[in-house]
Amino acid sequence: MIKMDSMRAFWPAFFMPEGPEERKLQAGADRRNEGERNVGMKQAAFWKGRFFPPLMGIAALLVLWYLVCRMELFSAYVLPPPAKVLDSFRKMLVSGELFADVGISVARVFKGFAIAFVLAFVLGMLRAVCPGAGPYFEYILQFFRNVPPLSLIPLLILWCGIGETTKTAIIFLASFFPMYLNIVKGFTGCDPRLLEVGDMFGYSRGERFFRIILPYASADILVGMRIGLGYSWRAIIAAEMVAASTGLGHMILFAQQMSRTDKVIVGIFVIGIVGLLTDRLFAFLISRLLKGNYANGWD
Amino acid sequence: MAGIEIRHLKKAYEVDGRRLQVLQDVDLEIPEERITVVLGKSGCGKTTLLRLVGGLEQPDSGEISFGASHRTAFVFQEPRLMPWLNVTQNILFGLRGKEPEPGALSGIVATVGLTGFEKAWPQQLSGGMQQRVAMARALAYGPSLILMDEPFAALDHFTREQMQKELSRVQQEEACSILFVTHSIDEALLLGHRIVIIENGRIKRLFDLEETAGERDLLSDPFIRMKREIVADLKEQKI
Ligand SMILES: Nc1ncnc2c1ncn2[C@@H]1O[C@H](COP(=O)(O)OP(=O)(O)O)[C@@H](O)[C@H]1O
Ligand SMILES: [Mg+2]
Repeated sequence: MIKMDSMRAFWPAFFMPEGPEERKLQAGADRRNEGERNVGMKQAAFWKGRFFPPLMGIAALLVLWYLVCRMELFSAYVLPPPAKVLDSFRKMLVSGELFADVGISVARVFKGFAIAFVLAFVLGMLRAVCPGAGPYFEYILQFFRNVPPLSLIPLLILWCGIGETTKTAIIFLASFFPMYLNIVKGFTGCDPRLLEVGDMFGYSRGERFFRIILPYASADILVGMRIGLGYSWRAIIAAEMVAASTGLGHMILFAQQMSRTDKVIVGIFVIGIVGLLTDRLFAFLISRLLKGNYANGWD
Repeated sequence: MAGIEIRHLKKAYEVDGRRLQVLQDVDLEIPEERITVVLGKSGCGKTTLLRLVGGLEQPDSGEISFGASHRTAFVFQEPRLMPWLNVTQNILFGLRGKEPEPGALSGIVATVGLTGFEKAWPQQLSGGMQQRVAMARALAYGPSLILMDEPFAALDHFTREQMQKELSRVQQEEACSILFVTHSIDEALLLGHRIVIIENGRIKRLFDLEETAGERDLLSDPFIRMKREIVADLKEQKI
């Protein structure tokens, strides 16, 4: 059951049409963010309107959970009550084991993600600067894009053991493609009319790339990074469930084996919250980097 | 005269499987330090001619020879500003990172009437203002030849008059050559030292005007006569 879910986490990374879709969603979210900043200062009522509904939703869910436990529809082993989960959460915070696991997972994500980004950027840049190079690796990449990384785990374990290399490779595979596809889209989708402006001013190849193509693509690149980061986070949990002795994914699986469903739920909360926070942080950085003005008239 | 000589220029496009001969056989001399205006109906190949002169497109046959070394700026039919650069950065785009001469920038900004908008972003400007930024970008490049493709089409009547005056002034001050494309007869009569009418991919007629641009009274007899001729020429053309 848990395995099924973790497998699904891999899927979207290899499903290309999701790119632009997610992008649209995110553009919407960014715009909402802008509004939040400008209007929120002036209108406390707006803040209330913005935070009241989601808080009510969360509260309703908690109440429902509480009531279901109270009515004892399921045993406390299958669905522990909110109080118990909260208590375990507190204990795990105090003992520090939670931080250790989160820290390990986050560190793995950033390692794999950084490698994937550098390679995606270099290959994307190659496609933009010398288009003739594309066919040499494009089909190999397309092949791997259609192979879910989870299916490579047996091979990876065989070759690299259950050490860090396997996890890095999984994260790399999960985050490389959304970044590569967005970077290529940004680089090759550059408006030829703007390139002509550079041509008329005698721009060299390098100037063309750094002064027109790269700034033009920056929105796409950042969106790709954001999607890639989301996918790596989902992938690391799955990888740690299959082959690891540390990290959040392993923590969840271990808790399940110890029949500690409360810890499993704590783990799921933490995954969701850390994922949400990194994504929000990244969205914030994007709107900062693009200075807002860029986002306005762009797209 | 060391201007630009265009000889037997031919250019065709493939449109929907059919060959479209845009320029049949264009022969034209573009004099140095003068404004040459190319006049014609829309779709007659004005932009194509300009792109050929600018080297953005290769002719099927014929040649374009430049008398002297030249530094060409192109003002496109659309503003083509970089959305990630503000007005000042866009104007300096052609300098490729080199610093402009002190005072030059504010002079150019004033010429196109954008003082106070130096830090604005392109998408905060109206279409006409964006087009003026594009013109400023061309001027800042310090060109000896400016190719302009209906640069004032998006401007209102009064701003257009203002810009036409400024262009005449700048052209005299900088002594640069300008190849100016328009579909407005009045604009051609107001600006051109040489007016060229394109029809069916050829130069149909050529006028040379003596009076200094900017001092012309378009309601005087010679201009009215000339305008009649041009209108008659253009009316004959079938699309
Ligand atoms: N890149 C192109 N490909 C195919 N057809 C083109 C292209 N550019 C222009 N044309 C055709 O050439 C003709 C002249 O175009 P253009 O030079 O833009 O006219 P003008 O600027 O005088 O309005 C038009 O019929 C247009 O459809
Ligand atoms: Mg045109």
